[in-house]
Amino acid sequence: MKNILEIKNLSHAYDQNTLTIKDFSFSLQKGEIVSILGPSGIGKTTLLRIVAGLEHVMDGEVKISDEVVSKKNFLLPPEKRNLGLVVEDRALFPHLNIEKNVMFGINHIHERESLAQEYLGLFKVAELSKKYPHEISAGQQQRVAFARAIITNPDILLLDEPFGALDKTLKAELHDEAKKIFKDKDLSVLLVTHDEEEAEYFSDRIIEFQEDKIIIR
Amino acid sequence: MRSSKIFSVWHGLPLFILLFFISPILIILSSVFADYSENWSHIYEYVLADYILNSLILVSGVSILVMTIGSLTAWLVTNYQFFGKRFFEWGLILPLAIPPYILAYTFTGLFDSYGTMNEIARSVFNLKQNEMLFPNIRNIYGAIIVFSFTLYPYVYLICRTAFLNQSRSMFEVGRTLGLSQASIFLKLALPLVRPALIAGTMIVAMETLSDFGAVDHFAISTFTTGIFRTWYGMYDLTTAMQLASMLLIFITFCLIIERISRKNASYSTIGSNFKPTPVKRLSSLGSSVCFFVCFVPIFIGFILPVLEILNWSIRFNSSFVNEQFFSISLNTVLLSILSAILCTFIAMIINFSIRYKNSSVIKSINPLLNIGYAVPGLILAVGIVQLFVFLDNNILNTFEGYFLTGSLFGLIFAYIIKSYALANSTYEAGYQKISQTIDDSARILKSTGLNLLLRVHFPILKTSFFTSILLVTSEVVKELPATLILRPFNFETLAVSTYIYASEERMVEAAAPATAIILIGLIPIFFISQMIRASRLEKS
Repeated sequence: MKNILEIKNLSHAYDQNTLTIKDFSFSLQKGEIVSILGPSGIGKTTLLRIVAGLEHVMDGEVKISDEVVSKKNFLLPPEKRNLGLVVEDRALFPHLNIEKNVMFGINHIHERESLAQEYLGLFKVAELSKKYPHEISAGQQQRVAFARAIITNPDILLLDEPFGALDKTLKAELHDEAKKIFKDKDLSVLLVTHDEEEAEYFSDRIIEFQEDKIIIR
Repeated sequence: MRSSKIFSVWHGLPLFILLFFISPILIILSSVFADYSENWSHIYEYVLADYILNSLILVSGVSILVMTIGSLTAWLVTNYQFFGKRFFEWGLILPLAIPPYILAYTFTGLFDSYGTMNEIARSVFNLKQNEMLFPNIRNIYGAIIVFSFTLYPYVYLICRTAFLNQSRSMFEVGRTLGLSQASIFLKLALPLVRPALIAGTMIVAMETLSDFGAVDHFAISTFTTGIFRTWYGMYDLTTAMQLASMLLIFITFCLIIERISRKNASYSTIGSNFKPTPVKRLSSLGSSVCFFVCFVPIFIGFILPVLEILNWSIRFNSSFVNEQFFSISLNTVLLSILSAILCTFIAMIINFSIRYKNSSVIKSINPLLNIGYAVPGLILAVGIVQLFVFLDNNILNTFEGYFLTGSLFGLIFAYIIKSYALANSTYEAGYQKISQTIDDSARILKSTGLNLLLRVHFPILKTSFFTSILLVTSEVVKELPATLILRPFNFETLAVSTYIYASEERMVEAAAPATAIILIGLIPIFFISQMIRASRLEKS
């Protein structure tokens, strides 16, 4: 299978003394869902942000679709990487209604309204399209954030604790739906989580960040 | 990480704006190295000592009074329940709506030998025509009262916040160690808010040193009146600039003290086990004393001048609002709104650049842009005139005559530099409320640079945008010294109109523009009162 993401000998540090990631290599295949698991503050989100182009690398390189996007002293900006991003606080634009939030990344496309409706429909929130983010529940906001992230047909979908703010029932419901949609769309997904159960259920493989090592299983 | 380009338009724009902002100040400071004329020797020999002494007496007197009024009233409204407390919480900032020069004009109208108060006293106590109950106010002591009662709200506001953040347990320990209520205030509460007290007093000191209208009306020789006289009386711009440099250096010294005091402010912040101090109920005597202490500053700083202006308005009768007043009001409002819009756009660009580029260079530019608030309007005006003369003579010399000098550009430029700190603080507060994940999501969705600003930040921050425009407009309307110098020939604003009438002793006619200035000055009071309400809710 084709590698969509390749990380080679990656090292990263926020300051001179503390290495957050050391000599890490990994590849993500097309259509694969991989979880990055580990306790808080260990560097999971940093790895995701490096892939997104939101952090520089100290050493090593990152390739997306065979193109080098990050290496020492080089960084292809996030807007040029064709990615999707969903974060725990959803980051929906508060001044735009749900439909406009979802259309934000496809403004150049002619039939964007119908496309937005289609993706909102996939996540069962099409009827909320004229509402504003503050008028809907946290679970509904998360569905909108998923729709907004995948409508651009990204090469890789990056998920940073996207289910963290949801209760157990809502989480289980969204796990099933989201996983099915990602598999149907053949999306490559990197999921950051501290919940081992979630990682086991949701992903094909797990990268586990431990105190002194990183294990891929 | 926000953007990978080392240098872009978002670096260039802030640097370009900085160049324009600091040019007038650098021009003033460069005069220190110019030749010193005979006029300088004259000033040095005969009047400089007066300028320094009067400025120091004024600043010292005002500082002591504002510290007393500001901290005492803040302590009372924070810690005690008494009649009118809810009103006093925001009512104590009402004097901010009245610029010192308008209080000076109304005080002259009230307390001059034939002023309203002495006339009332004569008729009540059957005094003779040459007898006075109220002493002459046109002296340095009168000026100290004028500045103190218009500027104490700066100290009040900052101390109130600091007192709100003081923990109950600290005072409980104090009581168990034998301190009385009064000792708790003097020995514990006050020393703990010392950095806030110094910061507030420094703002007042800088405002006092910057004033021209009030000291000119009371005929007190200070640095600002000296600079004005040297320029307009001796026609010696270089010497005026050299005097301005001395004042600027002193103000820089004040600014450094203020910054140092702010750094130390950490020892008065809230810890994790913070418990707010309970509000104590008072006996009727205690309640009356507190009412009196809080009412007097509002009475002197707001009610009395407003009553006197109303008195003038009634005497001015039907001509109160005439065609000339409308024309001047329109001039003022248009000019203020235009300056406010430009100033707000600049603050938006700078704050966006800081956020978007996250560059230490742009971050370090912002405090330098803020420095304009501390530079007296008169000094700024002198610097801008010099800058514009240089630009007209050397760069824009293809135009016939002067293009920039004597135009409205100078005035707008001065207003922008003076008010930038206000617009910037509004935007900074707005940006603090936008999560960084919003920017990250927008960038992943290919929204960057101007697109990010216009599609995401601007709409989210439109409240900050309009608040900034309102605040800057109300500030610009009050500005006098820079307007006096930089206005085009025969162009009047409300502040200039009030000044001209007052300097010609036509007080009654000053009523209309003064009323308009006060009404517009109430705009920021509204916003601050909303913030006070919010802080009260947080405490409860």
